[in-house]
Amino acid sequence: MSSSRDQILSRVRDALAPLPSRTPLPEWDASLVRLRNSTTPADLWAPFAERLRSVNGTPLASPLALISFLTENNLLRGYCDPALHASLASHFPPTITLSTELDRSRIDDYQFGLTAAFGAIAETGTIILSDNTTSSRLGALAPWVHIAALRRDQIFPDIPSAIAALPADPNIIWVTGPSKTADVEGILIEGVHGPGLQAALLL
Amino acid sequence: MDLSHRRRPAADRRVQLMATCLCDAFFDDVARATVEVLEYLGCTIEFPEAQTCCGQPPFNGGDWPASRKIVRHTVDTFAGDAPVVVPSGSCAAMLFHGALLEFENEPDLPAVSKLASRTWELADFIVNALGVTSWPGEYKATLAFHRSCHSRGTPSGEAALHLLSSISGTRVVPVGEAEQCCGFGGTFSVAFPNVSTAMGTLKLEHLRAENPDVVVSADMSCLMHLNGLAEKSGSPLRPQHLAQILRDALKNSALI
Amino acid sequence: MRQPLDTFSTTLPPDKRASVYQSTKATHEKRTKLLFDHFADPNRLRELAGEIKQHTLEHLDTYLPAVEAKLQSNGVQVHWASTADDANAAVLKIMRARGATKIVKSKTMVSEEIHLEAYLKKHGIESLETDLGEFIVQIDHDHPSHIVRPIIHKNRREIAQSFEREGLGVYNDDPQTITRRARAFLREKYLAADVGLTGGNFISVESGRLVLVTNEGNSRFCLAATKCHIALVGIEKLVPRDRDLGLLLNLLARSATAQQLTVYTEFITGPKSPTQPDGPEEMHVIFVDNGRTDVLATECRDILRCIRCGACLNVCPVYRQASGHAYRSVYPGPVGAVLSPLLAGKKFPELADLPKASSLCGACNEVCPVNIPIPDLLLRLRDKGKREHAPLASAATPPMGSFATLATHPTVWKTALTAGKLLNVLPTTLLPVPPLRAWEKNRTLPKWRGGEFRNWMKSRPDVRRKNAQNAQKS
Repeated sequence: MSSSRDQILSRVRDALAPLPSRTPLPEWDASLVRLRNSTTPADLWAPFAERLRSVNGTPLASPLALISFLTENNLLRGYCDPALHASLASHFPPTITLSTELDRSRIDDYQFGLTAAFGAIAETGTIILSDNTTSSRLGALAPWVHIAALRRDQIFPDIPSAIAALPADPNIIWVTGPSKTADVEGILIEGVHGPGLQAALLL
Repeated sequence: MDLSHRRRPAADRRVQLMATCLCDAFFDDVARATVEVLEYLGCTIEFPEAQTCCGQPPFNGGDWPASRKIVRHTVDTFAGDAPVVVPSGSCAAMLFHGALLEFENEPDLPAVSKLASRTWELADFIVNALGVTSWPGEYKATLAFHRSCHSRGTPSGEAALHLLSSISGTRVVPVGEAEQCCGFGGTFSVAFPNVSTAMGTLKLEHLRAENPDVVVSADMSCLMHLNGLAEKSGSPLRPQHLAQILRDALKNSALI
Repeated sequence: MRQPLDTFSTTLPPDKRASVYQSTKATHEKRTKLLFDHFADPNRLRELAGEIKQHTLEHLDTYLPAVEAKLQSNGVQVHWASTADDANAAVLKIMRARGATKIVKSKTMVSEEIHLEAYLKKHGIESLETDLGEFIVQIDHDHPSHIVRPIIHKNRREIAQSFEREGLGVYNDDPQTITRRARAFLREKYLAADVGLTGGNFISVESGRLVLVTNEGNSRFCLAATKCHIALVGIEKLVPRDRDLGLLLNLLARSATAQQLTVYTEFITGPKSPTQPDGPEEMHVIFVDNGRTDVLATECRDILRCIRCGACLNVCPVYRQASGHAYRSVYPGPVGAVLSPLLAGKKFPELADLPKASSLCGACNEVCPVNIPIPDLLLRLRDKGKREHAPLASAATPPMGSFATLATHPTVWKTALTAGKLLNVLPTTLLPVPPLRAWEKNRTLPKWRGGEFRNWMKSRPDVRRKNAQNAQKS
């Protein structure tokens, strides 16, 4: 009795055998998916921030802006990547508590998560996360607010360049704005299972 | 749809006319107008008397053997090498696309392909084969143009619109949700009468939104369904085929 | 015998039809605007994507073993499932090996094809939907009616009632409240689950990357909270190279929901990295056939290019009038009208009417991001339905044998043209001819004028001289 694998592969071969010719793989130039009127400025933070805003994300241009954002929104308890903690903790007022370890049993206690990004994509306002740069998957996902910290030189101009630079990482996530659904009568609601507020911090 | 194989008319502008079974049965004035318009353009028209139907109704209905019989008869009837002009996007598409599908494993595919390569829908023929860029004469009316689905992927819709807009006196109004089908679909109209009627009713709303004087199409099948609905509900359209508008524009200026 | 879809359409309450219509129309129009605003030549992109997918299908004999090898070298366990039973058994085996009893799953239509939930329940395993729409379908014991918008047919009041019934809170039909309640409820479930089960939008043969495209964050949570990942992937979901994802991802979200990108696009290569505290330590991909190789063997194989965007549903005038449940299968709309009867294999006759439920308008092909020639495929299936004498295929369809005889005998045809004038005096609305009945219920028949054109043409004066003059003018 042959295995499913054998059955499937032999049926595939039999199905394709009669074809008189097979469609070749077309070559295509990335310029075909370039957005109309797109430019490639030297500084990609500005176009990235604009696109991020257009998908209801929150660009934060400095640690100062981050602190203002947190205090204005009454976000006083959060998870922070231990590596980022070292460099950013000094900016935080004592009113804000940062934990560098995520306790799954108290996951809703964290009002925000602050983790490092792998990169970003300017043309879409996308933040790129990866297993090796995100200290905790849940820390970046479960809190209502997620802030991804990135440097200017980590921003890719467009999708093809971001794909070309996909690292050897088991879990790369392109995050484009806060989580959302329109399942109920087509009405857009933000904050479903993922964050309801998605921010990017320029380091 | 690959239409690159179509052959242009020879200098003597001989064409064969396929009147379509619908015009044969119901819409003789459309076939007449087609003749008058083509002759005005200097064409010599042969009307092969043995013609009947392009074979589309059984093709769409799934009876390909029946359809092939009819297509073979059509191939025989239209023997020759002159362009075959037909005042219907749907019949034209049957010959240059549908027939190729149902004959793909048949020994006489080459003969069918030959006919396909000579077949032109009327507006496409006038603009792209004969090179007419503007239509003379006069026709004072607000027109709503219904682009039939079978002209998708062909130059016919654009050609028809171009001709209509170029006539002195016409005002062609936009039609909302233009990509939505009128609901005829051949046997679909009787096999799915409820959905077909719902689609047609929506289409009528859009066509009438700007209160046009005339609803024009290059396909009588759509107009037959739409006007059938409109008449039954007590407010008939003034449906006209493209050929009739072109002919009347000439007549209005005593050009024919 | 009437056509079932046509009958079903008459049972749709007007408010449901209106909400399906408005919703699909809005998404379709936004999709079109976005594509043409963003790209110089969106139709060229669709053609290219179609060629890439067609190429992939026609080389599955080499790509499938290649992607298996790549996945394995990435640390992924690869399984194969010829039938639905095999797929269900493969999932169960993994669960048993881990002593696991709780699954949280993100949307995968393959799981609906194989009836995974019912099978697992029989074996004492809970499989909870986490996509909001699918969750609501699950608690209602309902079926999705749209590939991308599963509860397009439900209103907020119905959902609020269901939530109350399930103990998720007193009746509250505010969409935000509904969503927050689902968030809170499912959050606990994610954290208590053993296994996260997903589908797969694409798998790159080059890198073995599994791509998941979502908006809610549910697949992320399935893969952050649990220790084992099972992905159910149809064998046709392969893509040759990572760079080809750059084209397909540019088309998918725009076509499906008129977004540039969905909120989350995940590229998964294997179990979590060693330094990562959260996530699966084990990853399994189950390649599912379940009839796909049968489809591959037909001239309708192009349908396997489908990337499940739903754009064809959104533009289809028939879908808009009938809605998804009218298609009686996992896949509704134009894609479903081709795929469902084919995947049904020997049970093709049960769905042989679906390819007839179309006016062949071609709007579906015009919006398809992989340029599937759906009308041609529908026509092929109509031929198949007739050849196999499937009753549903010929229901309410006028038989064409006599018409073919008429249309191949010109003398008889011409006689019929003249004789047809009888119709002008007969009370046609009383004639027991079903197609005539169906026509005249809502439409008048035009006057029969058979023979008039031919008589006129025969007596047409010689206009050759006039032609020569006109030829000079134009």
